[in-house]
Amino acid sequence: MKPLWQVFRLIWQAQRASLLRGAVLSVVVLVAGVTLLGVSGWFITAAAAAGLAGLGAVFDVFRPSGSIRFLALGRTAARYGERVLTHDATLRAFATLRLRVLQAYLAAPYDRQSRLRGPQVLNRITADIDALDGLPLRLILPLIAGGVTLAASFVVLWAIAGIAIAGVVAVGFALGGAVVLIWAGRAANTPSRRVEYAAQAFRARLIDLVQARGDLAVYGQLAAQHQAVLSAEARRQDARLVQDRIERRAGLALSWLGTAIATAALLLGMALADRGALSAAVAAVGFFASLALTEVLAPLRRAVADLGRMRLAARRVVASLPAPEVRAGSSHSAGPLRFEAVSLQRAGAARASLRPLGFTLHAGETLALTGPSGVGKSTALLLAAGMLRPSAGVITLGAHPLPDWDEAALRAKVALLPQRAGLMAGSIRAALQLAAPDADDAALWAVLEAVALGEVIRAKGGLDALLGPRGAGLSGGEARRLAIARVLLRRPAILLLDEPTEGLDTATALRVLHGIRQYLPQAAILTASHRPVETDWADFTLELS
Amino acid sequence: MAQQDQQTSAVVLARLIAPARGRLRLSAMLSGMAAVIWPLQAALVAAALAGLLTDAPPLWAYAVGFGVLGLLRAALSYGAEAAASRAGLEVVQALRAEMVAREAARSTGPAAGGVAALAGEKLEMLLPYVSRYAPARARVMLVPGLILVLAFWQSWAVGVVLLISGPLIPVFMALIGWAAQAASQRQMVEIGTLNDLLIERLHALLDIRLLGAGAAVGAGFADAAERLRAQTMAVLRVAFLSSAVLELFAALGVAMVAVYVGFSLLGVLEFGSYGTQLTPAAGIFLLLLAPEFYQPLRDLSAAWHDRAAALAVADEWAEWQARASDAPLLGQGARAARLPGAADIAVTGVQVQLGAKVLHLPDFSLKAGETLALLGPSGSGKTTVLRALAGLVHPEAGQITVAGQPLSDASADGWRARLGWMPQQPQFLDGSLRHNISLGQGDPGAALGMVAMQDVVAALPQGAATRLGEGGGGLSGGEARRLTLARALHACPDVLLADEPTADLDAVTAATVTAALLALAGSGCSLIIATHDAGLAAKMDHVIRLEAAP
Repeated sequence: MKPLWQVFRLIWQAQRASLLRGAVLSVVVLVAGVTLLGVSGWFITAAAAAGLAGLGAVFDVFRPSGSIRFLALGRTAARYGERVLTHDATLRAFATLRLRVLQAYLAAPYDRQSRLRGPQVLNRITADIDALDGLPLRLILPLIAGGVTLAASFVVLWAIAGIAIAGVVAVGFALGGAVVLIWAGRAANTPSRRVEYAAQAFRARLIDLVQARGDLAVYGQLAAQHQAVLSAEARRQDARLVQDRIERRAGLALSWLGTAIATAALLLGMALADRGALSAAVAAVGFFASLALTEVLAPLRRAVADLGRMRLAARRVVASLPAPEVRAGSSHSAGPLRFEAVSLQRAGAARASLRPLGFTLHAGETLALTGPSGVGKSTALLLAAGMLRPSAGVITLGAHPLPDWDEAALRAKVALLPQRAGLMAGSIRAALQLAAPDADDAALWAVLEAVALGEVIRAKGGLDALLGPRGAGLSGGEARRLAIARVLLRRPAILLLDEPTEGLDTATALRVLHGIRQYLPQAAILTASHRPVETDWADFTLELS
Repeated sequence: MAQQDQQTSAVVLARLIAPARGRLRLSAMLSGMAAVIWPLQAALVAAALAGLLTDAPPLWAYAVGFGVLGLLRAALSYGAEAAASRAGLEVVQALRAEMVAREAARSTGPAAGGVAALAGEKLEMLLPYVSRYAPARARVMLVPGLILVLAFWQSWAVGVVLLISGPLIPVFMALIGWAAQAASQRQMVEIGTLNDLLIERLHALLDIRLLGAGAAVGAGFADAAERLRAQTMAVLRVAFLSSAVLELFAALGVAMVAVYVGFSLLGVLEFGSYGTQLTPAAGIFLLLLAPEFYQPLRDLSAAWHDRAAALAVADEWAEWQARASDAPLLGQGARAARLPGAADIAVTGVQVQLGAKVLHLPDFSLKAGETLALLGPSGSGKTTVLRALAGLVHPEAGQITVAGQPLSDASADGWRARLGWMPQQPQFLDGSLRHNISLGQGDPGAALGMVAMQDVVAALPQGAATRLGEGGGGLSGGEARRLTLARALHACPDVLLADEPTADLDAVTAATVTAALLALAGSGCSLIIATHDAGLAAKMDHVIRLEAAP
């Protein structure tokens, strides 16, 4: 229950005013509904009694008929207002929540971030949050409104029709409703979670089938994957049938409860009227009120049947929200980058990702790390960028160890070109301004020239030329140079380049490397390199082993 | 134009739910039966309450009868709901099965995210329509007419009130339906836009963070999320407004009936009934009936909104289906016994349809154990040759002979059991690294050793149990490539098809991969390699140069 409660608190904090107003209006809707039927029933019966007694001319018809019209119109307006307010508030709160989840993924540790599977994260941000809309709309607000309405009905019925009718109607609905809803919530918990698990499995397996169709076919796994997708779907349908049946049974039990209470109120009213304790008209009020009170419980059945799924979704959403800020350092002036016996062995790994490494790199110098693939060159760059934390040794930037730097300050001083840089759909200008939002066109062209990309971009139609999804429309080498241009625009004090000229011919690679140095004459540059053109360009090389 | 679209989507929708017709008829019948019980219950209550106004003893039996009928009515509704919800689940399950079957049989198709969204969330949106619309329509056919007859029987004035206010509702509903469908379609578009935007951002998460652009990207996403909220609210507002207007009509109608009945009972109004004054029982009876006259119309209008969403889904389905006619791959892609005979290959006169153009494959033949390089610029069809040899594309003409048999639906699975496969883009399944290499068959340790990946795997957080990102996230490009080679080696192939095995690799890694390939060839395996790398091509027995397609 705790994650559900946390999610509700987030929604509540974001949209308190609207939700409060919505709650008030939903009470108004229910109370007006009960009053409307009660007054109508009383009015007709009382009018009939007065007519039979020949008192028709003195019976006050205008107040009751006026209040009937007022209640009918008021309820309609209140219902419209309540629905718009609460749905809008929930959707707004969810838009904020989606953003927070995305930001949490943006700030996740490197090892987690690099292995994220897009479709699953997408699920967190979209489907999981959507699954939670029932929490305020179909569970908590209706519970509050229903409770208030039942309490008010009890008081009013007691005042006009006596405690017997009030007790049967209000207490009957409260206790009977609680029993049915709690039973349904418990019974549906397992099937509703199963539905959700199976739906996620269906989705992940179908995406694998579509994305890796050729691989699966060649290795004779396509038919098996097809069956695996269908078996997830079959599990979902089986669990869904059980869940639906429980929900329907809860609905049946609530209808029967309503009928039983209405019948009991009718019989009680008849007995009291027969004894002369109540007038016929007042005796009818309990019956009519109980007809209207079935509306209080009906919306809750779907919510309790879905509770298991909502809890699962809430747990996942809460788990993906950020832990307390990790890097609570501050900003300092940059200086040399120093590695002192830095190594990394990941928890649970049998072998070190980087064996102890030490060096000092000053402004204006270029150091190339070399060594066979897998020796830890990329790891060293990620450590220098603060994306990974060493398991031993200290990395200092200027006078301070890296953990003393806060994230934004570190990003301003240190830029890393990862081995596989990701481009996004959009214009060339947007791709570059991701790194420097305020850069003007002249600055953008300058950096494109520095990476020997000016000609290419001009041929494509300039800065407004559009890239397709994941930067489609550029060759591998062009995409590489655009990614370099992006990190140069950051004008970092420390520039970390992971195989910067991969995919470029030697002549272009040389132009780009010299362009980089010219663009940032004062930067300390650390590269992970295996090409002679890069190691020759560097001032020093350091071979890892 | 909009009208026409609506008709086409309606036809598609009707076809989609046709298999559920039987259950829906049952549901409609039960739902109708439940609805006609209410007038009986109303008559009993009216008589019981009217009895209180006389000196006669209370009509206990009538009140009990009300209760018994109420239980029966709820039970019938339960049956109606059960049949309808089952119908909905069966429709959706059948459509999903159809989608998965087609996706598993085709050679190429639309992106996975869109397919998964349609098969998952969007088909789910058919459920409310399938399970609510038919029963609501059945009640509309039955209940208002019946109540109208009963009302005219008791009082023509009440009958006239109902007769006039009732038909306004369907007219209003039709108007709103159009607005609702348009809004639903715009909402679907916004959902798609937000998903596309997210997929792009998620793919570049690391870069966004390294460039310090988290805040800007967050703001862009917040805008998109806000647009989706606004669009969703637009759909909901139409729905809420229409239901409010219908409630208003119903409330006004009921209030008019109540006021008329009240005044008649008081003896103030003396028209509207037939000769005699309205009795108390008749008055209460009419009052209890009036709301139920409007209720089916309101239910139908709510279901009308579900219909708007369902029509939007039907459109997307039709669009998917129109693209589903791509050529199928050969065979089932199932595990099969290896095709017997020497792994000789011959290609003669093969043509392959690629989108709008036809690609002519070069004729060649290769004896078992020989090696072949396909050289040529991008777009010359190197990848297509490999895909054709693996039976992943359906040739339009010509013949591919493998191990002495034509490559066909019957032989494709057995032929593929002898193949190793190294695609250009590594693609990892949602499972452990170990499973991705072995695909559930044996221990992949030896294969990892052959591509010098044991140390890299050992440095991963959970070793071979680590889950990778779908494109190999968590590894370098070269490491991911070597894993696809390990997977091919683990299959102990007689023929290895490799697409650009050394592209984008550093010299050392490229040498490792080349050595592993040549070692495989030395053990008697045929190699067919598509490559730009002239050095690698020179190490093969044969080279075929492909020309750029015209």
